[in-house]
Amino acid sequence: MATSFKTFNSDKDAVVTRNLLHEAIPVTGTIVSGTYADNNIKNYSHGMFQSVYDYPFLSSSANHIFDLTCGYAATSSLSGTSATHVQNAKKINIYNQMAQVLAGFDANGAIRRFDEDGDLTIGPKINEAYFINLTRLLSKDEIKKGSFSLSLGVGPLYSTPWANILTITDKSGSEGYKVNSPAGEYGILYATGSESFIDETKVDSLGYAKVGLLYYQAGIVVLSASAFGSLLDTPVSMSRIEGAGLHPSASVTAVLSGSAISGNCDDMRHRFQNVSFNNTTELNSTVYFCRVNNTDFNYSSNPTYLSSSQIVVKTNAGDIPVSYVTTVGLYSPDNELLAVAKLSEPLKKDPATEFTIRVRLDY
Amino acid sequence: MGFLDNSGDIILDAVLTDLGRKRLAEGNGRFSVAKFALGDDEIDYGLYDKNATGGTPYYDISILQTPVLEAFTNNMSSMKSRLMTYSETDLLYLPVIKINNDGESALNASIGTYVVLVDETTVNYLKNSNTELVAGLLNGNEPQKGVKYIQTDQGLDTTALPSNTVIPPNLLESQYFIQIDNRLGFLYPGTGGTNAESAYTATTIDDDSIASYVFTKTGGDSVITEINGADSAIQGPAGTKVTFKIAASLSLRTSTYLFTQLGTPGNVDIVCGSNTLTAASYRFIDSTVRVSGISTGYTLDIPVRFVKKNP
Repeated sequence: MATSFKTFNSDKDAVVTRNLLHEAIPVTGTIVSGTYADNNIKNYSHGMFQSVYDYPFLSSSANHIFDLTCGYAATSSLSGTSATHVQNAKKINIYNQMAQVLAGFDANGAIRRFDEDGDLTIGPKINEAYFINLTRLLSKDEIKKGSFSLSLGVGPLYSTPWANILTITDKSGSEGYKVNSPAGEYGILYATGSESFIDETKVDSLGYAKVGLLYYQAGIVVLSASAFGSLLDTPVSMSRIEGAGLHPSASVTAVLSGSAISGNCDDMRHRFQNVSFNNTTELNSTVYFCRVNNTDFNYSSNPTYLSSSQIVVKTNAGDIPVSYVTTVGLYSPDNELLAVAKLSEPLKKDPATEFTIRVRLDY
Repeated sequence: MGFLDNSGDIILDAVLTDLGRKRLAEGNGRFSVAKFALGDDEIDYGLYDKNATGGTPYYDISILQTPVLEAFTNNMSSMKSRLMTYSETDLLYLPVIKINNDGESALNASIGTYVVLVDETTVNYLKNSNTELVAGLLNGNEPQKGVKYIQTDQGLDTTALPSNTVIPPNLLESQYFIQIDNRLGFLYPGTGGTNAESAYTATTIDDDSIASYVFTKTGGDSVITEINGADSAIQGPAGTKVTFKIAASLSLRTSTYLFTQLGTPGNVDIVCGSNTLTAASYRFIDSTVRVSGISTGYTLDIPVRFVKKNP
């Protein structure tokens, strides 16, 4: 009996595997601020956050790469209701929203504040923060632990931000991450840089200071405002008009309280030199082993295979039949084609050969 | 689709078909891979050169250099020719399926396709009470009233074997797939049938509206019968024949929408006896009906033209 199908042995011919796929994601600061004259920055009328694209966002080629926003806790010293406190409620709302999602609630149902070292019971909190929300396009299933690096320009003057470079990493993230967040695993972000501009009292013996948190699965960076202020010998001037104009004082705390969220995001982007990380995609695969024995698939139903019903690759009945494989089709029990795999070149099949073709379907 | 890089190791480019994705999305367990088949759509076996100098290793040099296209996701566009398993290795002839272009099942001579007249107006314009539709014109409006049908014959189409030889059982096709665009028409018995309820029911209809009908020789219907006598398109030992008619879909019969969307103005007069449907007075949609032998794997695409007279 002729047949063109071969049934899989469900016990032996299909296996489910799981693989992690990593991509290196570099984002250069010139994209974030400079190259496109901010045509790739989208602000919203609600003023709660700012979206950054990798190309002017009106173009269909643009990809949304991350969102920026900032906020502070209600208990922060920056919180207040005077005329100099711009968008005070929105900044608190943003902080609380991020905190309840990422840090969760305490035993009394109150929103936890971000904790500098991840020990929620004790220790300093991050009360003022910038948030970098990486899109799923970049972070995929999660950020690979230990791969994150962010370079910030922390030169004292607004006009020369790259005079000092602060490098922020999730060092030891592959082994030192935390699991007490409702949003998955997170690591502590450490800043390091030259002793010439970092306050040595703030760093450990290896020269690192805690400046934020990185939520791996959520793809969110919580960056303490201290990276621009108390960590440094000379706090930076965040404002475009240094020391005057926009803000009487251009310190990060003054800008955080006295400038709108969009303005804070602009100032943050101005000091954004590079960010790079590896993302992770979890691939669940089913591998089908298509076992082709020597007696299988030696003939073809290709119309060119026959000339007046005679097999063209044979002269005599005793010649061995030959066929060539270019495609593997996976079929349902009712003979419907569910998946197709193509070989990169034809594979010769005759009664003297047999092989196993591994077809992997990723989900 | 581009070609696959064939400069290094053999790689596999695997994708789910649109039907596969649909079944996966349904989430009801219908996405179940149970079997596989191998295809050779790109291969032209005419390039196999048994006279190549240098011997056997050079016979298929051209075939092995054939570039292979990336996978199509349309389930109807792949695996059109499948590799076959026969237990014997000494077969020299394999069966084919051919249109029986003769008598009541002949193609329309001037167009070279079967022409399905989709509504009563079109049928009546070409036929009056005293005439029957000529060869190749099928009554798609009321197929039970037409005597023309489509027939395919299967067997070893060679004069090297006498036609009175019995075809070996393993080369006798007893089960067929017939596929037709369900938006355009459906299958109707080639003989018999009394009304619209006599039409066959499709086994499956895929996401591209391609209806698949499965017929077996022992299935109780009259679609598949063994070929007896000389009225066969097969020159050698004959196997089975498939006969059916095509009924126009309700959409084609009652609306011009698909003719506007998919059709074209007529380009040749359709003649039936003394009646002529001029090219300017109708629109048509060209399609194919695919007949595939399930066990022997051979596939035949039958050209079909659906015709509707302009209002």
